[in-house]
This record gives sequence, C-alpha cells and structure tokens, in this order.
Amino acid sequence: MIALLLYLLVGVGLLVFLWLLARRKGAPVEGCGRQFVEARQALRTLQEGLLPDNLIQRIFDRDDFRYVMASSPGDIGELFLQERKRISLMWVRRVRCEIRNLMQFHLDYSRLHAKLSLLTEIRLGLDFAVLLLACRALRILLYLRGPYGARAVVGVMTTAAGRVCAVSEESLAFLNPLALESFRRDSTGDGAAI
Amino acid sequence: MDVLAAADDLRRRTLVEMTQPLERLIYLASMRDYNTGLYYHQGLATRFSEEAACEALAGCHREAFEELVDASLEELVHELEAYLQNTRVAPSGFIAAWKGLEPYRVAVPVGIDSLSSELVFSNLKVALAILESRLAARPEPGASRHLSPVQ
Repeated sequence: MIALLLYLLVGVGLLVFLWLLARRKGAPVEGCGRQFVEARQALRTLQEGLLPDNLIQRIFDRDDFRYVMASSPGDIGELFLQERKRISLMWVRRVRCEIRNLMQFHLDYSRLHAKLSLLTEIRLGLDFAVLLLACRALRILLYLRGPYGARAVVGVMTTAAGRVCAVSEESLAFLNPLALESFRRDSTGDGAAI
Repeated sequence: MDVLAAADDLRRRTLVEMTQPLERLIYLASMRDYNTGLYYHQGLATRFSEEAACEALAGCHREAFEELVDASLEELVHELEAYLQNTRVAPSGFIAAWKGLEPYRVAVPVGIDSLSSELVFSNLKVALAILESRLAARPEPGASRHLSPVQ
C-alpha cells in the first residue's frame, strides 16, 4: 500500500513537472531588438570600458601603493588604500552587472540567432558560473584584504570574461559586422578584444 | 580628412606647448560649451570648419584624458606639480580650490566610461593630498626671513 502511494506521488510529481515545462514561455522571437542592442551595449562596455588591460593594470598596480608608502605620511597611504578599494569594488560590481546582462541575453535570446554548438554552450555556461563566483569571491577578498589581496582572482575573472565576450561577439555579430572584423583583427588569445 | 588636418594643426600650433596631459585636458575642456557640449576654437574654425574644429578638439580632449587614465600616481603628482607652477597661483590657494571645487570633474570628455573617470578623480584626490603634504613640509618662501632675526 505504501509502495503504491509512493508510485502515485512520483507520478503526480512528474505530471506537475511536465505541466510546468509546458507552461514555460520561450523568449519571443519578434520584438526582441531592444534586448540585442542592450546586449551589444553590455558587451561594448565590458570590452572598451571595463576589461582593457591597461585599466586593470592601473587599478591593481602595486607600484602606486609603493610610491605612496615611500613618499608620503601614513594617513595619505590610508586614503590611497581606501580610494583604490572603492575603485576596485566599483570595477567588480560593474563587471558583474554587465556579465549578468550578457548571461540573461544568452539564456533568453541568443540561441534563436546564433548557431552555438552544444560544447560551446556548455563552456559558456561554465564561464558564466566561474565569472559570477569569481566576482563574489573577489568582492569578499577586496573587502577583507584590500585592493592588492586578490590578484589571482582578478586574472581568472578577466580571462573568463574575455572568453564570454568572444562568444557573445559571435552571437551579436549580425548587429555590427564591420566592428566584428576589427575586433577579430585586434583580439589576442583568450583576452577580451579591445 | 579635414578633422585629421585640424587635429594635426591643433597639436602642432597649440598643444605642443602643453607637455602635460593634465594641462591639455583642462585647456581643451575650457574650449567646450557646457550648454551644448560642442567645442569651439576660433582659429581652427576659420582655417578649417566649425565641425572639423569641434571634432578635432573632442578627439584631442579624449586623447589627453586617456593619457591621464594610463598615468601612474607618481606621474600624476609630477603633472599636478608642473600644472601648479604654470598657473602661477599661490600653492595653498590652488590646493584649496582643487580640493573644494574639484574642477577636474567637469573636464571629462563625452563618452568616457564612468569607471575610468572615477579612477582619474580618485588618483587626482590622492595626488593633491601628496602635493599638499610636500608643500607643508617645505619652508614658506618668507618664513626664513621672519626666522632669521630670532636665530
């Protein structure tokens, strides 16, 4: 009797699950131009505003810290660390926000337009997961250890972000083919195309 | 084509005398009308066209800002010091005005990402503090005169 009840419960559960799947709405194909433009904007912000090597190097450059400590009183050192921590946290927050925008776009729309292979999609999913985890870890590390306490995590984050940008570039290529060509020419390895 | 020629002309005739990006940034920002966001330079506009002059000024302004983003804190302190010397204003007055008014905040070109501008503002804030502490450590020019009778 108990076994019968269990089977019934499992059966009802599966039916409910199927019903929920059937009710789930896919992303509308028509009228999604705004989402594409927003995703393109997020990608451009990442590539040109947040991930350029020189900017990241400047934010996390230890030479500035050494210079301040060697040439100024302690209170200026503290001011510098506070400021650099604020900027690095702002950087993480902005990267996370743009990555989430891109992730949402991939979840909702990109599959309708880009012919991504299953392997690419799995890699992309892993990269998004790594990025969001790295963002969270980096925020905690920056709070606890200051701007110079998480250089390795910054490296992981920028590399994964570069890969995500490259795949997103393919998905959004039809919006700006000329720019894509120039990005391809200028891209180096796994880094973001700047 | 006109824009490139105008930018080249601007660099050769006017900006060549301004070796520091900070100086160029402040100068070029002053060429911009705050109500329209458009740049105006009479000499350039006469030689080329208003549009070409505007584009050339905007490009050079952006260039100067990007150089500041790339500058290390040490370079920024030197630039600020050189700028202060060029203004021929009393150092204490200059530092008080820059700390209070933060005039560099309105000198950012259009289209710059807010993170880059925040990084430059933050570095300038620290550079000003370093410069202030250095100036406080130096004896005032008149101080030795006042002290000499006591010695």
